[in-house]
Amino acid sequence: MHIDWFVFFAQIVNLLILMFLLKKFLFGRIVAAIDAREAKIAARFAEADRAREEADRAAAVCDAKLKDLEARYEEMIDKARRDAEEYRERLLEKAREEVEFLKKRWIDAFRSERETFLMELRLLAGQQIYAVTRKVLKDLADVDLEERIAQILTERLMALDEEERRRFLSEEADEEEGRLVVVSTAHEIPEDVRRKVAEAIRRCLPEEVEVEYRQSEDVLGGWELRSDGHKIAWSMKDYIDAIEERFNAALHQEILER
Amino acid sequence: MEVVAIHQISPDQVILFTWGFVTVNATLVYTWLIMAFLVAGSYLVTGQLSTDRQVSRWQNVLEVIVSGIRSEIGDMVKEGADSYLVFIGTVFLFILASNLFTFIPGYVAPTSSLTTTAALAIMVFFAVPLYGITKQGILGYLKEYFQPNFIFFPFHVMGEFSRTLALAVRLFGNLMSHEKVVAILLAVTPLLFPVVMQVLGLLIGLIQAYIFAILAMVYIASATQSHEETGHETNRNHK
Repeated sequence: MHIDWFVFFAQIVNLLILMFLLKKFLFGRIVAAIDAREAKIAARFAEADRAREEADRAAAVCDAKLKDLEARYEEMIDKARRDAEEYRERLLEKAREEVEFLKKRWIDAFRSERETFLMELRLLAGQQIYAVTRKVLKDLADVDLEERIAQILTERLMALDEEERRRFLSEEADEEEGRLVVVSTAHEIPEDVRRKVAEAIRRCLPEEVEVEYRQSEDVLGGWELRSDGHKIAWSMKDYIDAIEERFNAALHQEILER
Repeated sequence: MEVVAIHQISPDQVILFTWGFVTVNATLVYTWLIMAFLVAGSYLVTGQLSTDRQVSRWQNVLEVIVSGIRSEIGDMVKEGADSYLVFIGTVFLFILASNLFTFIPGYVAPTSSLTTTAALAIMVFFAVPLYGITKQGILGYLKEYFQPNFIFFPFHVMGEFSRTLALAVRLFGNLMSHEKVVAILLAVTPLLFPVVMQVLGLLIGLIQAYIFAILAMVYIASATQSHEETGHETNRNHK
């Protein structure tokens, strides 16, 4: 075992030099490179973390917005549905009202028309029946309808007892103005018939009464003797009423069928 | 080619040049070669270092080595691993390079010379108090010699010397004996078996470099930190 002291110190110096050179060319550089890379990686991780945090935040914001939008969407849909329902109800109500109105108007118009029609019917029927009856009586039995009516009225007047006659010529009537009996007919009465009727009246009613003839459509092909508040009449009103009733029923039936 | 004859125990005995007390022997020459290799290799590789993801193959190799050394040091000291890196790293790389080139015919590891291993051990011997004083202060460092009480002072001092001697002789003995064993085996069974021994030699060289560096680090760590903290590690790593 031999130690050469020069070599020994030379080795120490060599190692020190090696240490210096390796520090300069190896460890220093490599450590710096590793540290730089680690720093870069750390920076990248930090950046990635930050980016992820940002992304998370953005995602949270988006999520919140989405939820908000969904909520609003639902709300809007609900509102729209409610509005539509309300609108529909309103429209339906309006339509119903309109239908009601139209129906009412139609019914009113129909009633009015019916009234008019019936009125006309009544009038026409009255006239027609009167004319037909008159002609039939004349042709078949050689009887004058007016005369016959006048006769009937006279008979009725005659049939009245005292009490009834007095009541017919109202007691409350003014004495000075005289008693007025109005004879209403739908048609013109021939003069001789008028005279006969006037005579019959004066015969039946003891007091001096004035007889006045009036033409009126109300009596419908009949005769009417009217004093104050009382009347004696013969008319075809009942017959015509029956016809009208039948007609009315027929019309009503038709409406129901529709 | 036989540089060191079988009867010569170390490359120190192969003297190439003498001028007064200046002696240039095979140990020095091979040391210079190793140094040149290490420095030139480092210089070439670290000339263009990349800090990006793409790293050259050789830079990767050096990074693996340096990171390995750093992590080994880091396992033993809690902080400031980089301050030991240059010393421990240089010692480790020098011993490793010296030992691994033994597969080249004609090459003799400088570490198979007691002079070199003694120089390495002496450096560790001085590095320990140097680091210890730097980290703990002179009083803090000296106090460690009187733990657990002053009676232990001589034992600590003896320990310092003996472990330095052990460092030097362990490395020298292992390397030198291996070379001798290979030389003898080559004479006895010239085929195949010496190759196996050479492979084994590479392993031994690696292990010895590791052991030397680790022990140096353990000694330094025990000096820079209190015994309570590193005592169990020291015991575990001490061979």
